[in-house]
Amino acid sequence: MIELQDNNLTFRFPEVHPEAGCQIDFQRTLRIPDDNQEYPLPPGLGRFPVQHVDDYADHLPEAWRKHGGVFVPMYQAEALWINFSGYYPCAIKIAAGKINAVSGEAWKNELSAKPQDYVVSPEQPWLDGFNVSEGHIRQFVAMPLGEGYTAEEQITGEAEHGGLQIIVYPMKAEVYEKLATHRVEEVCYDMAPPTAKDTLGMGLAPGGLMRQKIYSDEYGIEAWELEHSSRCFVHLASSAEYQKITGNNPPHKPPTAQEYATAGLPWFDCYSDKSSIPGAQGLTSLGSIGAKFFSKHSKPLPDNQALKPSVITKLEPSTRVRDGKF
Amino acid sequence: MTFGKHLRIKREKLRAEDRQYSVRQVAQRIGVEPAYLSKIEREDVAPPSEAKIRALADELGEDSDVLLAMAGKVSSDLLEVIRKRPRLFAQLIRELKSAPDHAILRVVREVRDGEW
Repeated sequence: MIELQDNNLTFRFPEVHPEAGCQIDFQRTLRIPDDNQEYPLPPGLGRFPVQHVDDYADHLPEAWRKHGGVFVPMYQAEALWINFSGYYPCAIKIAAGKINAVSGEAWKNELSAKPQDYVVSPEQPWLDGFNVSEGHIRQFVAMPLGEGYTAEEQITGEAEHGGLQIIVYPMKAEVYEKLATHRVEEVCYDMAPPTAKDTLGMGLAPGGLMRQKIYSDEYGIEAWELEHSSRCFVHLASSAEYQKITGNNPPHKPPTAQEYATAGLPWFDCYSDKSSIPGAQGLTSLGSIGAKFFSKHSKPLPDNQALKPSVITKLEPSTRVRDGKF
Repeated sequence: MTFGKHLRIKREKLRAEDRQYSVRQVAQRIGVEPAYLSKIEREDVAPPSEAKIRALADELGEDSDVLLAMAGKVSSDLLEVIRKRPRLFAQLIRELKSAPDHAILRVVREVRDGEW
């Protein structure tokens, strides 16, 4: 079952184990420059607001009502990262426009070990984008469907689904119990481009390049309770449409990467020697929004100046906080 | 476990990893005197206000509802919910008091999954 509490999706599996579950929220962040240089982790600027589709069903497209789930507002060319929390191990599949962000393959509910098409929480604290090469992702950046930027459109040629899709599988109770007795307790602290037009429905496109490992599943696929899962369709509404649908203002636009860096605020780097999975073949060749924008408009993407973050905070693997104050 | 003892154990555990969790620094961040926080932990005084308990929960990564309950308090938003429909919620809580967790979770509003 999935509950929505404080803009946080809480997945619980009481039928598997009283403690089985995890939380997922969507963090506002700045869009890193898309210039093929690699950047450290940008900050979290707070959670995106999340609403039940059913609460605004009369104002939403039929397809959204059919999918169920939730929706969040995003500005065109705004970036997000997905934050995983909780201590009970879970296997989590994430797709954008029904293209798996880890394996690049088309959506299926089942887990796959070869290639690994999921991340493991709590080992993986967050996911910022598409797995384009080992140790690197391309940032999730919202773009309107129908303009050819999204991973979905680049891979399938269609602008059909958009949004984000999530399915969570908890660890088998017997594996968890065995693990819990062996584990030492760990403490977890805990642009708009000139052509911007607000259309209902956005998808995620690959943006700038960032250093981020997607860790290998150290438990193995047999550890996961494949009979029990919960999934959620996360629709992305443009900020203007969100305001019309809900009557609530979306959050302010985040600062540009340049503004943030000029203010001397911290970026983050997380070092871990855990093994990571290779980049997904299907995602490596995607065109980034910067490259696509240039080929469409023969000029660079706005707010995309290269920069060199000067303040980089090193995060220990057990530290899960990457808040930015702006 | 009692409120003060629980707080002290949790804070000390965090302090073992990070000195920011000393009595002085935690007290400063939640806006109370260190001596007062120390007294709360030793249970020389009654638990603090709801706002301070919430701040402590945030600081220590605890669930604020659980901390409030340990302090013998109910969150003001829950009280407001009950005040609006007292008979209905009193009946609901009494009926669910001995239900297992999974049965209680069935009445929680779920995010609906549809056809993709």
